[in-house]
Formats: sequence, structure tokens, C-alpha cells
Amino acid sequence: MADAKIHDLVIVGAGPAALSCAVYTTREDIETLLYEKAVPGGLISTTDWVDNYPGFPDGIEGLTLGDNMRKQAERFGAVIELGEVLGLKKQGDIITLDTTDGDVQAKSVLIATGSGYKKIGVPGEDAYYARGVHYCATCDGAFYRDKRLVVVGGGNSAVQEAMFLTRFASHIDMLVRSDFRASDVLVKELESKFADKITVHKGIITDEILGAEIDGMNKVNKVLGTDKATGKKVEFETDGVFVFVGLQPNTGFLKGSGVELDEIGLIKSSADTLTTAIPGVFVAGDCRADATLQIATAVGEGATAALKIREFLEGHL
Amino acid sequence: MGVLALKINKKGTIMAKNITIYTTNTCASCAMVKKWLGAKGHSYDEVNIDNEPHRQAEALAVSGALTVPVTVVTKEDDSQEVVIGLNLARLAPALA
Ligand SMILES: Cc1cc2nc3c(=O)[nH]c(=O)nc-3n(C[C@H](O)[C@H](O)[C@H](O)COP(=O)(O)OP(=O)(O)OC[C@H]3O[C@@H](n4cnc5c(N)ncnc54)[C@H](O)[C@@H]3O)c2cc1C
Repeated sequence: MADAKIHDLVIVGAGPAALSCAVYTTREDIETLLYEKAVPGGLISTTDWVDNYPGFPDGIEGLTLGDNMRKQAERFGAVIELGEVLGLKKQGDIITLDTTDGDVQAKSVLIATGSGYKKIGVPGEDAYYARGVHYCATCDGAFYRDKRLVVVGGGNSAVQEAMFLTRFASHIDMLVRSDFRASDVLVKELESKFADKITVHKGIITDEILGAEIDGMNKVNKVLGTDKATGKKVEFETDGVFVFVGLQPNTGFLKGSGVELDEIGLIKSSADTLTTAIPGVFVAGDCRADATLQIATAVGEGATAALKIREFLEGHL
Repeated sequence: MGVLALKINKKGTIMAKNITIYTTNTCASCAMVKKWLGAKGHSYDEVNIDNEPHRQAEALAVSGALTVPVTVVTKEDDSQEVVIGLNLARLAPALA
């Protein structure tokens, strides 16, 4: 949707931080356009259940929560375009975004692009992608009814998604590099309710994912690892591997833009105004250095950014 | 897979085209592809492999991948284009 219009605000991403900001800005008559390359609602749309977002005493499906946020922002006039932002530059007072639909210009920009799944970086991981190696349990879990699985990772996402995958899998070997980094509540839930289906192997480094010709298709059949304590090689027979080893900020499109990134690619900002190194370009949510990586905090940062963007557009910041 | 059917689009031109999308209940990208097809005025057949697990092999055979969404666009000349995942950059030209 390339056009000659100079928008008041363009938001990159349509996750919780972005949609929260859009609710505030549109209610204040700041014309707001969002660009989303995947699912409006963001990363929570791919998780099956959210129990810690205030206002939902019984918890809520991630997909529903994300969709409700989208509806609320659209109710006040936010416009969401499906497309990817590929670059950003500022000349004078105008910020130009290079998008899959052409150039889009704005007086202010909020970057709320969150993070994507990180890879382990071992042989076999790319070769077997979607043929036994997966990063989204709610998308691909259904292919593993009554099959054996390996889950790699020990953080919140790994524990949460392993528990979800027990709906399908007959057994899960969970390979944790050192010890759990997940919250105590989740680890207790895993240990008390899922011990019969999930076997946790701590201190295992994943080395390689192997496959073979099965039913006419080259599929995953084994994961090789190293036991850190003994140095011995270990192997796990499996039909598939789900990888949850952390997240990587979606900020590659900002390289060379003047927006300052830290060593892992998170966006540096002023803590009180959420402004990046480029005046008029703000940041909120998981892609911000020092963010606390929760829906509630992303939503809070989105609201703060909206108030700061208003000040900026009025010439007070 | 759905039956090839004659359809008439908003401009009144005839499209001998069929769209089948393989989904699951919990897949956010599936919901987006369906929403996008609906917004662009395309009707489609849905195969939900949570509800019809026996059709999982069909999704795998057509895409070669253990993932959803898989969108199969059957064109006027019966050739098929298969789009894996939420990939609007490929889906839009496939339907053009
Ligand atoms: C498996 C899992 C379970 C979780 N469970 C919980 C939970 O129970 N409770 C909780 O509080 N938190 C949970 N989280 C964390 C939570 O999802 C994030 O903190 C939250 O989604 C951050 O919101 P955000 O708006 O910053 O980013 P995101 O939700 O990541 O949204 C960013 C959006 O930007 C889009 N985007 C990225 N780059 C571009 C681009 N170049 N152009 C256009 N669009 C782009 C992305 O597609 C995405 O939709 C979970 C995370 C995971 C992975």
C-alpha cells in the first residue's frame, strides 16, 4: 500500500506492544498505520494458553487474546496492513520505511517487532526443517499423534510447549543444556502432571539431528547429544524435534539505519522516553534492550510509547 | 482434496479455480490465511487435520512438509500451486 501520504505514525509489527500503542494513539486522533508480516496479535498467537495476563481470571487462549487486541485497536481506527518492513531511513523530519508494498512515509515510527525463534545451530537442523524439525507446537504438533518427540530447551517456552505437545505425542524426551531456566510454577506443573509422558534429561548438549528414508520421505529419526557430566555421546530415537532455545530480536531490517542495536540485536533506547538513537523513532516490547519479555510489560511499554509519541508530534519531546 | 468448481469473482469473470487449505485448530497462521482469503473474496475448502486426522497424510503428500497451513491452489489448467505457511508474498501471485 505505497502512497504519497505522510502518516502521523507507522508501527512496525502488530503484537501486544504495537496494538496497545495503537489503542492509545487512535483514541487521541493520531492517524496510525501498522505493518505486520505474520499474524496480528504477535508471538502470543502461537502459544495455546496464557495464564498470567491480568483481567482473565481463568486464563485465555493466546490466539484469542491477540485477536481481541487487534479488534480493540481496529475499533478506534487503527489500520493494519499485511506486509514486511525491510528498511528505515530518516531525512529531515520524514521517516521512510521500505516495505514489501513500496515506500511508506511517516512523521513518527514505533518499532515493536518482538523476536523470532532462535535455532540451535547444529547439523541437520536446516536440512530437516518442517520434515521433523519444528519451532511452533501449535502449528505442527498435530503431525505427531502417538509419535515420539524430542523437545530441546529448558526455558518457559520449552516447558510450556512440551506440556502442550503431550496432547499428541506418546512420549517426549526433553533435552536441557544445563538446568531449567523456566519459572518454578511451570517446572512444578511439568513434574507433577506430565512425568509419565515427559522425561527430562538435564546437562545434555544437542549436537546433531539425523534422519533416514521413512515411508518414502527423508525424515528425522534420531538426535545425537553429549552428556556434559560424563562427556559421553548419547542418542535419542525420535520422530521429530521441537526447538525452543530462546528468541532472537526481529531487528535485522534496521542494520545501517542509524537505530542503535546492542550486541545481540536488541534496540537501545532512552529508558524514560523509549526513543531510539533516531528522534521520532520509538521502540516498545520484546525487541527493546532491557525489556522484561512479558505480554503485560509489552502492553505497558506500548502505552508509554503512545504518550511519548503524542508529545513528540506536538513538538514537546 | 476439494472438487474443481467454476467460480465467478466480483468482476464477473469465470475462474475455474479451487483452493484447499489444510489447518489445525490451534494454528494462528492458518486463521490468518483463511482471514486473508476471505478478505480478498476467495472461497476455499478447509481440511482440518485435528478433526480429520486421517487426511494428515494428504497434507504431507501435497506439500512434502509436516506443517500447516498448506494452501493448494488449483488453476484453470488444473496445474497446482502449493504454498506452505503464511506466505502472502507467494499466495497473492498464486491467486492473481
Ligand atoms: C511459546 C511462548 C509462550 C509465551 N507465553 C507467555 C505467557 O504465558 N505470558 C506472557 O506474559 N508472555 C508469554 N510469552 C512472551 C510474549 O509472547 C511476548 O513477551 C510478547 O508477545 C511480546 O510482545 P511484542 O509486541 O513485543 O512482540 P511480538 O508479540 O513478538 O510481536 C511482534 C510482531 O512484529 C512482527 N514483525 C516482526 N518484524 C517485522 C517486520 N520487519 N515487518 C512487519 N512486521 C514484523 C512479528 O510478526 C510479530 O507479529 C510467550 C512467548 C513464547 C514464545
